Amino acid sequence: MTDTEAPPRVLVVDDAATVRLYHSSLLLEAGFQVDEAANGLEAVEAAMATPFDLFVVDVNMPKMNGYTCVENLRSETVATDAPVLMISTEDRPGDADRAYAAGANLYLVKPVTGERLIRIATMLTAGRGTPA
Amino acid sequence: MGLVRKKAAEQPEDVAPERPSAEALRAQLDDPDPDCRREAALGLEGDEESVPHLLTRMTVETETNVRDAILTTLAAHDNETVAGSLAVHLASDDAALRTAVAEALATMPRSMPALLPSLLVAPDHDVRVMTAMVLADLNHPDTAAWLVQMISEDPHPNVVTAAIDALLPVAGPEHAAVLEEAVRRFPDDPFLRFTVQAALPRLAGTA
Repeated sequence: MTDTEAPPRVLVVDDAATVRLYHSSLLLEAGFQVDEAANGLEAVEAAMATPFDLFVVDVNMPKMNGYTCVENLRSETVATDAPVLMISTEDRPGDADRAYAAGANLYLVKPVTGERLIRIATMLTAGRGTPA
Repeated sequence: MGLVRKKAAEQPEDVAPERPSAEALRAQLDDPDPDCRREAALGLEGDEESVPHLLTRMTVETETNVRDAILTTLAAHDNETVAGSLAVHLASDDAALRTAVAEALATMPRSMPALLPSLLVAPDHDVRVMTAMVLADLNHPDTAAWLVQMISEDPHPNVVTAAIDALLPVAGPEHAAVLEEAVRRFPDDPFLRFTVQAALPRLAGTA
């Protein structure tokens, strides 16, 4: 957990620059600190260097997909207990189960409204910081 | 006594190691050692007869670096048979496989155009999203035109937003109208609206 005086720090992980911009803008506007990663590998490297309070992770990404990314975040190498919200275009049966098996806390299908994203991010980071 | 020169055949250090046959490499694709499998996959580059073996191995391979080597070797063929066989896996339940296949297809500019008519109308919208992901990295002069077609015609908002994301890095002022029309087609999609509104000033600036 990070300094409780600071706003929660979120890592937005998506290979689509427009999605990163969308999610980051919403979270910044709501008072979160936001960092970005363009794939799972970058996310794992970032998580090893910086403690985050929430991960917002896409599924289909080059180099390392979202499920593998979350498995790595939960592995002994990173071992973060920060909540993971997966947001994907994938809405086939079993997609959510795979996300939860990997270690995600919540799985949502795109598109996610700004209000819903902020409501969920606030809920998942409760006690981990103080959004402005 | 005169100098006696050894025959070349008697100097083992001068003999190049024999390259394994394609048949041996194909058998090596099932070796328990991942390094051996990877070496075999890379060693089979250019061998047309090995394509079915590589395609079969790809579907069961669990090691990322071996699977990537298999895909690299397969993609180097860049023909419609290989591309069509790979494209089937864009619908895979295995996220690692479908994203790796998308990356491989993006390196096959000669064969992808023949597949696009069917991929652009694939019944599974997730396959069409993956197709936009392929087009994002495909080095082909018609890429922007295919993406514009997806943005203009695809009925699913997630496909349209994926296509917009793929188009934006190469978009110019001539694409503003198609983006604005996409917002009109999906007025309830907040992400699509945000993306287009954020992009339009930049596109206008390039006019």
